[in-house]
Amino acid sequence: MENTIHVPKLRFGSRHIDVFPIWIGLLLLGFAFGGVGAYQVLTHGLQVTGLTDQVPWGLWITIDLSSIALGGSAFVFGVIVYLLRFKRFEVIGRLAVLLGFLGYSAAGLVLFFDLGQPLRFWHPVVFWQPHSLLWEITMCVVLYLSVLVAELIPVILEHPAFRDHPLIQRYAFFKTVAALLEKVTHILHKAGPALAILGLTLSLLHQASLGATYGVLSGRGLWFSPTAPVLFVLSAMGGGTSLLFLLSVIVFRVMRPGLVSDKVLYEIARIAGAVVLLCIYIRMWDWAVTNYYSFDHEIATQKELLNTIAPYDITFWVGQFFFALIPGAILLAAKRIKNFRVLMAASVLPVICLILLRWNYNFAGLIASITYDPFTPSVQLNSYVPTWQEWAVGTGVISYWLLGFSLAARYLPFRSKEAHH
Amino acid sequence: MEKTPLTENQFAHKPAEEKSFSRRGFLAVAGSTVGALTLTQFMLPAKAKSHDSNEHGEGHHKWGMVVDINKCIGCNYCTYACQAVNDLSEDMQYNKVTSEKTENGEAFFLSRPCMHCENPPCVHVCPVGATYVRDDGIVTMDYDLCIGCRYCEVACPYDARVFNWRDPNGENSRVPEFGFPEVDRRPRGVMEKCTFCEHRIDSGLERGLVPGVDEMATPACVVVCPTGARVFGDLNDPESPASQSLSTCKTPIRLREDLSTSPKVYYLPPRPQPMAEEA
Repeated sequence: MENTIHVPKLRFGSRHIDVFPIWIGLLLLGFAFGGVGAYQVLTHGLQVTGLTDQVPWGLWITIDLSSIALGGSAFVFGVIVYLLRFKRFEVIGRLAVLLGFLGYSAAGLVLFFDLGQPLRFWHPVVFWQPHSLLWEITMCVVLYLSVLVAELIPVILEHPAFRDHPLIQRYAFFKTVAALLEKVTHILHKAGPALAILGLTLSLLHQASLGATYGVLSGRGLWFSPTAPVLFVLSAMGGGTSLLFLLSVIVFRVMRPGLVSDKVLYEIARIAGAVVLLCIYIRMWDWAVTNYYSFDHEIATQKELLNTIAPYDITFWVGQFFFALIPGAILLAAKRIKNFRVLMAASVLPVICLILLRWNYNFAGLIASITYDPFTPSVQLNSYVPTWQEWAVGTGVISYWLLGFSLAARYLPFRSKEAHH
Repeated sequence: MEKTPLTENQFAHKPAEEKSFSRRGFLAVAGSTVGALTLTQFMLPAKAKSHDSNEHGEGHHKWGMVVDINKCIGCNYCTYACQAVNDLSEDMQYNKVTSEKTENGEAFFLSRPCMHCENPPCVHVCPVGATYVRDDGIVTMDYDLCIGCRYCEVACPYDARVFNWRDPNGENSRVPEFGFPEVDRRPRGVMEKCTFCEHRIDSGLERGLVPGVDEMATPACVVVCPTGARVFGDLNDPESPASQSLSTCKTPIRLREDLSTSPKVYYLPPRPQPMAEEA
């Protein structure tokens, strides 16, 4: 079976224009903008950001959390494909691995700039402090990124250029290299189940710990919550799978028709829908626990004050409740709806919901914090506005993500040669 | 029908070798990676592990501070002396003095160094062990290890940690009125904090001085306080100024006791004023 990749083209009157080069050009511009911001940050330090001692984590941490969460489909589908052996998801699993790799590498990139001492980024790997959640997260992310690279290499090496390029036929050297690469692909493919187990373990560990990072801080009542880890795992699974569904429709149904059947796509939508609904159920309990059972007597004041500066209640009820409930129900009923436009529109919302959850989670505890004075503790309202340098680095990292995805969507075959053995 | 015995030949048609190689190879790579990472723990430079050793006071000291709220006049000298001695820029304060109110609405000044908690949230969260509790109870920093992630700052309920946002090149505006720098400036991008002037305590003990009694071995904020509101000493020693001061008060308080951080900084609460008592 020959792989033909259909490139969607924009129609202007009677002309069909391939917008791909323009799109890539735009992303490169975004990347360059990021480079300017990155230069500023590295030369002048974090004083160019809007961060303060009261709000030390900002836009970058939100991007970091979101992009790790959006890579959550990689471990879900690693398990489905390699452990549960659902062969029909194999092609989807390859896209999930790609999204995982892009998500985690983007997170690593943005964290690099967020460190006060970027060149010491390797310290947690050598100087262990196993009591720290952040240490555990760093180790898991480093190890999981290696797992993702191992899983991604076969996906990239299956590109015809590594097997059928004219140079390979002409020069013995390239022939040897090609044979070697094929062997690497084979070995990594065989290691699939082991990698999937490793990926599942590492992912569950650090996705949960990202929630626990906030959840264990008893000094901040709006964060202190034992449900945060569960919430972060489930929202990563739900939001990540929703994103996978959305991009699968584009990559497979639009660009590579025939490779994945619509039935399989519906199944992805249903998985996403089910997890999103489960997540919102837990979220409601979390909301109730934070509001009614918290030992922090200032919760009501903190929320009131938060609402004076930003629409926190609206972003919660609309952004995190309805943006999850409605698309969750629609995606779960994918088999009956059978309308890909509706399903695609629905799958965007859990992604927004996931980002909002991270955004609100990160800022709620920082913006409204409780003072330490002994007799009349009150809630202190801090403020944070990201500077253009922060937006620039953010744009650069998001451009990197989109660039990686766009090139892969356009050029990678996503078909496993090994699968036909 | 004859049953084929389970022999190697059964798998001969399969590239069994290759298969086992791949799995073994994978395990070998994974195993050696984990092994190498673990090995790094035994090869750490001596400095990185120094806080495991007993070099700071053999664990029989427990440094603490007592702040008498009734004596504090809010002059901020403690903050200024701290900035001079620890060589801080004007916008960085390890120590903070704020104006607060009691339940009865009486105003008082609350001066706050680092609480040097026995159960410090900042130490638990640091991913590289850059901040640690010394054997004598002081919570301090290894500025060479700190990566500047600011998790400790987020975790500290007392707002006691200060990040070094910019290059420390400026003039120290508190010099010479409030003292002279006694420690090196920290590089940009690391977290800083009050150390109870550990350099004074360590060098003082070496010279046979008593921290809390001899000025050269006592934190700068305590020495400079014009009203003697701050008292420092060994909480394990009942004769130390801090223990003595604590024993004068039946109900000393610590900040945010609800969080079980067990600060080693105690406050003597404001005595009700006669006016308030009558009302």
